[in-house]
Amino acid sequence: MSQSLRPYLSCVRSTLTAALSLSNFASQAAERHNVPEIEAASSPELLLNPLTVSRNQEERVFVEPSVNSVRVSIRIKQADEIEHILVHKFTRFLTQRAEAFFILRRKAVPGYDISFLITNFHTEEMLKHKLVDFIIQFMEEVDKEISEMKLFLNARARFVAESFLTPFD
Amino acid sequence: MAANINWRTINIDALDPESAYNFDLTTLTPAVQPVSSSEVQTLSGQVRQLLRGGNAEGALRGALENAPYGADEQGKAMHLSVVTEVLGQIRQAEMTPLLQRMYQAEGGSELCDTLMKYLYKGMGQGTPTSNSTPKNLTPQATGFSQVGGRHFGGGEGGGQAMSVFLSWHEKLVEMVGPGSIVRVMSDRRTV
Amino acid sequence: MLLLDYQNVLIESLLKDRLAPDATPTSIDQVVSDFDNVTFHISTPTSKSQILVSIRVKCFDELVKYGAQAVLEREYGPYIVQPESGYDFSVQIDLAQLPESQEEKDELVAKISLLKRNAMAAPFEQAFDEHTELQEQARQYTSESAPQGVREGGEVRAIHYREEEGIYIKASHDRVTVIFSTVFREETDRVFGKVFLQEFVDARKRGVQNAPQVLQSNEPPLELQGQPGLARGSGKGEVGYITFVLFPRHLTPQRRGEVISHIQTFRDYFHYHIKASKAYIHSRMRRRTADFLQVLRRARPEAEEKERKTASGRTFRVQA
Repeated sequence: MSQSLRPYLSCVRSTLTAALSLSNFASQAAERHNVPEIEAASSPELLLNPLTVSRNQEERVFVEPSVNSVRVSIRIKQADEIEHILVHKFTRFLTQRAEAFFILRRKAVPGYDISFLITNFHTEEMLKHKLVDFIIQFMEEVDKEISEMKLFLNARARFVAESFLTPFD
Repeated sequence: MAANINWRTINIDALDPESAYNFDLTTLTPAVQPVSSSEVQTLSGQVRQLLRGGNAEGALRGALENAPYGADEQGKAMHLSVVTEVLGQIRQAEMTPLLQRMYQAEGGSELCDTLMKYLYKGMGQGTPTSNSTPKNLTPQATGFSQVGGRHFGGGEGGGQAMSVFLSWHEKLVEMVGPGSIVRVMSDRRTV
Repeated sequence: MLLLDYQNVLIESLLKDRLAPDATPTSIDQVVSDFDNVTFHISTPTSKSQILVSIRVKCFDELVKYGAQAVLEREYGPYIVQPESGYDFSVQIDLAQLPESQEEKDELVAKISLLKRNAMAAPFEQAFDEHTELQEQARQYTSESAPQGVREGGEVRAIHYREEEGIYIKASHDRVTVIFSTVFREETDRVFGKVFLQEFVDARKRGVQNAPQVLQSNEPPLELQGQPGLARGSGKGEVGYITFVLFPRHLTPQRRGEVISHIQTFRDYFHYHIKASKAYIHSRMRRRTADFLQVLRRARPEAEEKERKTASGRTFRVQA
């Protein structure tokens, strides 16, 4: 793991651990409703101060806590056009399967590549520390996956080009 | 009134003075003294003087004890830059002993919470607000000039300053635990 | 399968079946597609033993202009018949009058399955001939004294073989330039295409020294100045121009057949590999997503199955 990645991830980990203190809270605006307050934003008193953890300008995590839900948004590193398109494809692929991921938000918060929405029902059903583990592991693997895909693409392109040109030789 | 108003999009809660939407947040905020920019400036001068004198610990204490909760945005930004400066001056090896001394002193946990606020605030710098840089969902075609919504390759910018915050954060959490982070989230007195 | 075949495999296998010694003549009526919107029609209109193969090429008029008729007559001489209506060119083989030996039969099958390749080859052949001519002429002059025509090379032969894409061929005394224009429908294709093309450009530096020089740009190259109907796109790079510079070593009579076949497949080969990479990356993402789901599933506490015992010590399970 690179030198600056470890403190970044450990900071995200402790931030998430703190932010995931959620409790059931019924909507104050509509009777018999129970909505994630961070999304509804109908009662400002229930929203807490948002926190940002950043590694540099292009990689950061934005945590927006509220009384019964937390929104976690991740901005993934994109060094060039290829990585940009790969990140775009990958996050799109994931968000289209948001149903299976429970905590994945179907649309990323503007300025970020992917968002998670964790409610008190998720923390009740699942183990909190494992949820944090999941997000940390996700962040680690996404970077790795993107750079592997990029390497593959370059290798394939090289091979394809050489195979085409060799018969002329 | 114009006839083409879409009535469905009106937030009726906003019109009801009794609704939770209009809850007066100031009742949750402890009374803070308004601080003028010039006062912040004087304070910054004092902190910098301590720093120049080699007393980084004193500078940090001074800056945190007198965090200008009542200042306007400009004053807060000014104070943040002072705190950032002080944090940057302290070497890695000195962080833990310094924090330990600060934490064990009278009102130390208060100071640590304030420090935590500044760490998050520092990391939040340069965050694009949702309306200033709209992110294109379909990536922009850039050609060779690479002018797009995103500046490729410039990503490492600010990495140095961030790593200072990150290592402070790590040391601080080690000592005071996640409770401090919770207090940052829930304290309505923002730095 | 890394490189694409030059012939149409469907026609090849179909004819091989029919021409086999023990095959009984049956009626056929089949429409076969090939790359670049080329359509074949194989049928037995009059009797079961007479197979008619027709081809339709979008740019047949242009091909004829560049001498396709002569090339096709050379290749298929005795088999040519009046073109079927709706098609551009037809050949007919009579199963009753086949050549005797198996080799000759195979050769005939191979020839007919190369119908598209041969039709498209005409402008290349013409350009290569022109190059030889210009080379002869250029020998008589030094580079300064050469008349305009010899120095500049011949006219650009344009083949608009797809809706928005074309091949442009230009002969000069020391080279033949082949330019492909191609359109990237999608942003991903554009980015992937750029990576691939970069490797084509770099390949020469790395090891395939004798390969044609490859250049790529998003603007029409200088050779195409004044050409009508050039795709320009909206300045976002969805149109690409790829230039192959064929040197005299590629243009010798012994090699030209192979070179023509090979360079024709470029556009399809290139796009085929872009699509293949996309497919691979997609399957990779699928696998990775499954991994992520696995990790997330770990967050669910396992429903422990508690063993319950009655007072007498027997175990029982709660019926669901």
